[in-house]
Order: sequence, then C-alpha cells, then structure tokens
Amino acid sequence: MDYFIEPVKSDCEDILSRFQRTESVRYEEFAAIWRKMDFPSIFYGKMAANEMRAFSRLILTTAYPYLLPPYNFQIRVGGLYLLYGLYYTQLVAPKEKITIALKDWENIMKFQQDAMNSRHYDVCYIFRKLISEKAFYFAAMPKHLYFHVKRKPKRQEVCEEFRDRPARVKELITTETLEEIMNVQEHYEKVKAAVSTTPGQPDPAVNLINKHLGPMVQSTVMEYQNWLDEVAVRKNESGDAAAAADPGEGTSTQGDSSRRAELLASIKSKSYGHLVEASKSRRHRQVELDTSGPEIKQESTRKTIPCLQTRTMKNLISKGKVKEEVMECTRHWRLSVTEQDKSLKRRVKKRFKY
Amino acid sequence: MAASSAAGCSTSSNANDDIPTYEYIDINTKPFHVATFENLWKQTLNPKYYSIRDVHQETDEEFAEDIGIPTGTVEELKVICNPDTLRCHPENQPPDTDVVPADPGLMTLRMRKRRQDYRETLIRAQTCRQDLYAAELENLAIGKKPVDPEDLLPEGEIILSVNVLFPVITERFKHFKARQNLQVLGSQKLTDLRDAICCLSDLQVCGEFSDTPDMAPEFISKDLFKSAFLFLEGIFYNDMRYPECKDLSQTVREWAESHDMPTFQTAKMEETTFRDLKLKVGYPYLYCHQGDCEHVVLITDIRLAHRDDCLDLKLYPLLTYKHRMISRRCAVCNLYISRWMTTNDSFAPTDPCLFCDICFRMLHYDPEGKKLGDFQAFPYVDPGAFN
Repeated sequence: MDYFIEPVKSDCEDILSRFQRTESVRYEEFAAIWRKMDFPSIFYGKMAANEMRAFSRLILTTAYPYLLPPYNFQIRVGGLYLLYGLYYTQLVAPKEKITIALKDWENIMKFQQDAMNSRHYDVCYIFRKLISEKAFYFAAMPKHLYFHVKRKPKRQEVCEEFRDRPARVKELITTETLEEIMNVQEHYEKVKAAVSTTPGQPDPAVNLINKHLGPMVQSTVMEYQNWLDEVAVRKNESGDAAAAADPGEGTSTQGDSSRRAELLASIKSKSYGHLVEASKSRRHRQVELDTSGPEIKQESTRKTIPCLQTRTMKNLISKGKVKEEVMECTRHWRLSVTEQDKSLKRRVKKRFKY
Repeated sequence: MAASSAAGCSTSSNANDDIPTYEYIDINTKPFHVATFENLWKQTLNPKYYSIRDVHQETDEEFAEDIGIPTGTVEELKVICNPDTLRCHPENQPPDTDVVPADPGLMTLRMRKRRQDYRETLIRAQTCRQDLYAAELENLAIGKKPVDPEDLLPEGEIILSVNVLFPVITERFKHFKARQNLQVLGSQKLTDLRDAICCLSDLQVCGEFSDTPDMAPEFISKDLFKSAFLFLEGIFYNDMRYPECKDLSQTVREWAESHDMPTFQTAKMEETTFRDLKLKVGYPYLYCHQGDCEHVVLITDIRLAHRDDCLDLKLYPLLTYKHRMISRRCAVCNLYISRWMTTNDSFAPTDPCLFCDICFRMLHYDPEGKKLGDFQAFPYVDPGAFN
C-alpha cells in the first residue's frame, strides 16, 4: 500500500493547485474541478479483499494535512472539500473515517471560526455536515504508528506554493521584544551613568548606541509592514486591472520598481522551492555528475551480489577456461530440445516493479 | 502502588503535556497519560460529536440558528454542497468500479492500471490468503450491535489498538512479521489483554508421554506457569492473580541494580487499567510470559469509540488481525494436523516424525492401549493452532 503514497499525494496536490488557480474558496469551483478531473475514479479498479479499505484509509490520511497549517486559508478550504469529496465517494461500506489528532483540533476550530467570520458559509456547512455524519475519528495521532524506523528518514515535504509568504519580520519583532530592547537600553544608560566620572551624567566618550533605538526599530518595522500591505493591495488592483484591460502601459513610477522587486522575489522563491524539492543527496549527486564521470558508479549504496552461478560463470570466463559461446550453447535445460525450437525457453519469472 | 503514584503526578502536571505530539515524526509520540488525553478530547468536543447512541441528524434550522443566517440561505447551501455534485457520471448509469478508465489522468490510476495489466499477464493471479482472512475478520466486527442492550459500549469510551508481534523462533518467521492486532477498551485491565494474546508457548506440553498418552493434555504450560509481565514506560506490570505467580521481572531488576542502572518500578497487572497508563503511541514495549517468551507490543492508536465500531462490550479485546500460519500434517494420513512427535521410532519413516492423534494411537498402541515397541513421544503443538 505504501507505494501509493507518492501518486496519491501528487494527485491531491494537482487538484489543490488547480483550485488555487481559481483564487476562490467557493465550493462550486471545487466541484467543477473535481468533476473535470473525474476524481472519484481514484477508487476504481480491481482490488483485493481488504485493499480497498486500506486504500481509503491511506488517501484520507494523505489528504488530511492540507486541512492544517502551514498551508494558507484557500488551500485549507480546498483540503476540507477534498476530504469531503473523498469521504463521500469512497466505495467501502461503512465508510472509512477521517482521523483527527487532538493537537490539530484547536487549529481546525480556529479555521472554522475564520471561515464563519468571513462568511464562507459553504465551508461551515460542509464541516458541520461531516461532523453530524460522524465522519471523524477523534484520535491521538492522525495515523497509526508502527515504529517504522527507516534507514533514510523521509523529509516532511511541505508544498511551498501552497504556503503563505512567511512574515518573518513580524515574528521577530513583537511588542515583547521591543519592550525588552527598551529595558536593556535603559539599564545600559544607567550603568553608563554609574561608571562615568561625572556622576549622574554618562560619559560623552561612550556613545556607541543610538539613544532612541527602541522607537527607531518600531518605526522601521511599521514602515516595512505598511509597504508590504501597499504592495499586496496594488497587486490585487493590478490583477483586477489585468483582467479588465491590457496591462502594457505602465509609467515608470515607484509602483513599477516595487512590482519588479516583487517579481524578483517570486522568481527567487520559485527557484528556492525547486531546490527544496531535490533532496540533499541528489543535489550532491548532481554536482558529482558535472565534475567527474567515473564516480557515478558508486551511486547505488547497496550492491546486489550476483548469485553463485553467475559468479562462477564470470570467474570461469575471465580466467579463459571457458569461452562465452560455449556458455551460450550449454544453456539448454532439456536434452530433448533442439536448437531450432526456440519457443521452449525457460520461463522467466516476472515481478511487478512499482 | 508505584504506577498509580506515577499516574497521579502526571494528572497534576500541566495538561498540555498530555496532548500527544510526535517525539520522532511518523514514528512515535511523547509519553502522555491516557485518561487525561481522553478528558481533553471530551472537554473540547460537543458530546453529540462522538456519541454512539445518538442517531439525531443536525437539521437545517439548527445550523441556520447556530451561524445566524436565514433558513433560505441554508436551503441554497444544501443544494450547492450536496454530495451529488461530486458525482462524475449520469445518475442512472453507474460505471463499473472494477474497471480503471482508459487513459486515466490521475497518477494513482496510472499506477493501478499498470499493476492490473501486469496481473492479467499472470497465469494465475491469486490474492494473498492472509488478506482474505483479514478482510473477513474486519467485516465481522464492524458495526456489530450487542444482543443484550446492557452490553452496549458506554458513551465516550476509548479504544486502543494494540499490535502484538511474535518472537522470531523459527526460520519461517524471517521474511514476515507475524503479528496480531487487537482493540482494547480504556476501562479494561491489562490482564484482559494478556489473556487475549494467543501465543503457542502457552500451549506447549513439556515431557515425554509415550507410556501414558492420555495424560498429556493435563500439563499445559499455561496452567503450570502463570506468571507474566508487561513492561511499559519503565514500569513492570506483573500478573499476580494466582498465588503461584512469581515476579518474573525480579531478575531483570536485580541485574539493572547491579549495573548502576536506574531502578525500575513494579505494579500489578490486574490492578491497572489502560486509562491509568502513561505511554507513548507507536513505541515498542515488551510482553514476557512463560519465563522467556518475549513479544514486542505496540500501542498504535488511541481514539474515542465511534458509532460504526463494534459496540458489544463482551467482544473486547477484539481481534482485528491475526497472521495465519501453515499447519503441519500427519505423516501417515496427511489429512489431520499433527499432535505428536516421536523420536527413536522404529515405525516412523523419519526421525523425528509427526503424527495426528488417531494415526499415532493406531500405529503405536494395541487395542488395549499397551505400548508397542520402543520410542519416545512428545506432544506437538502446531503453529496453526490459533488459525
């Protein structure tokens, strides 16, 4: 079943990214995409007795993280619709439930409250419907844990495009940190006054730090925040304008430069996103590929040792005791088989490779 | 005892410690107290959300009232968000769900189609019999209602999923992990779980019985050696229900003491319920019985009981998966499962040799039950005894 995790994940991301492109949180939009992709067919196909149930379980646990942060509001709405769709279209009876972990419940409640406050009633309705249908398991963890320790642990990949741009500056400078800075500053001034030669007055020679550090930091942060907001508004406006008319005619104002900066940032973030996707080992390998050819052979970490028969043959051939053509001839496994009868070859056992 | 004091201190500590979080992502959680975890869920949830008796469906009026919008809008919402909008085929023409559509756009389907095409090339494509039995077992319990209403699960009960692995004894266990999955209730004692674990070493019979074959069933290990312990989060839970039970963990604890290791606590298995435990979900623990038969035990999941679960109190601990093993049959009739193993046997083709009960008696004893010839006979417990 684990083989299905990757394709299921990519399918979920596909439908969510299409939903993201609509820039809407309406259920109709989602349902239209859902029908266009023929998403319920994900459950089709001949399956073994309990495979269907296991698959339903797997797809619900795979879709569940999109309901949670760090994804932005729109993706989370899409995640909820996706869970709703999957829950209702699964083919097992009774239906497999969506597992909610206790640590995520608070987030989900907040999400629902947000939806209610911004009057997205379809989101609320669907969530309430799932709850009243008892579509949830209230559990400790979102999935069963079996202590499967892997030699190479898989990184938790978060789809960068579904995230909000992080507000690092806002996170770093809060009111508490500002207060802290002011306090330290005050204390510093006092200490300076205490050690100086003229009592009560700080030594004019020791003047390394701006006296108004706290307010300055605050004003800078505010300025930055305002600028960000402005950019966001302008982006929205320009998006609307683009829909209405051709956006070719731009005078070189300050708006242009900020738009350019934004473009640069988006390019950067995109390229950064690609980098994140490639795993560390692969990046390393790429470099190797560029510089030196022969080292590629060391790629596979685990060597498969050929069987004894092959090794013996190889040995014999390399020592020159037996020629390769001879080996070809002696491959027949039934004495009665003639050379012309090629149809009776030994059947090769096939195995399915995922 | 020691366990209860440990549990007591955790309830008094910060409740946020009992919200399960990952210690290692996707592997196991940090330790938390089960009862506190349960209460946290119950505090946050409306009892209607997890009720197992409640058949009441939320009406549109209630929803409208809750959110504060007119009923007409809810009607509209109901039409827009109807699950029928998810359907991709005309109403009266349901597609064949066994067929993967040709040229599918979804990655999952592409992979499944590839697999299905491959399976069609096989001469015989069987599904694994383990899967068949597992599905059967799963379907047996789902949504089962008790006959007697008194046996109905209490409201807000928690269900723990337990995964018991079997010790690697033979070569045959090398390629798969024989395991048994159980569901137990939070209110059940640890001894309930212990009794539900079916291990072959409980059924072994020690000794040679060629002179008195009828006596053999009286010496089953389960009745002779009743001690066992479960080791969870640094505490040994000993089974002390019977006077002849011994503290099996003593050797380990003494050894630990003599090697400068932290001292372990002990508690009684029969006095501890799963609610009292402090544990990590997904973390391997130990169950030891018969002196040295050691099983790894994992708690894979803890959740509130759901309407579709098995609601019969008496069926818990509920078996949800059991690995089936191949039985060895009698060397004579090749029909019945072996019950006896003989050595130094002049009648047998091999040494040792397996016999079913009937063949064994026919071959080795005269009609009066007198032993013929010289041989040694040992009762044999087939690995498939619990299938």
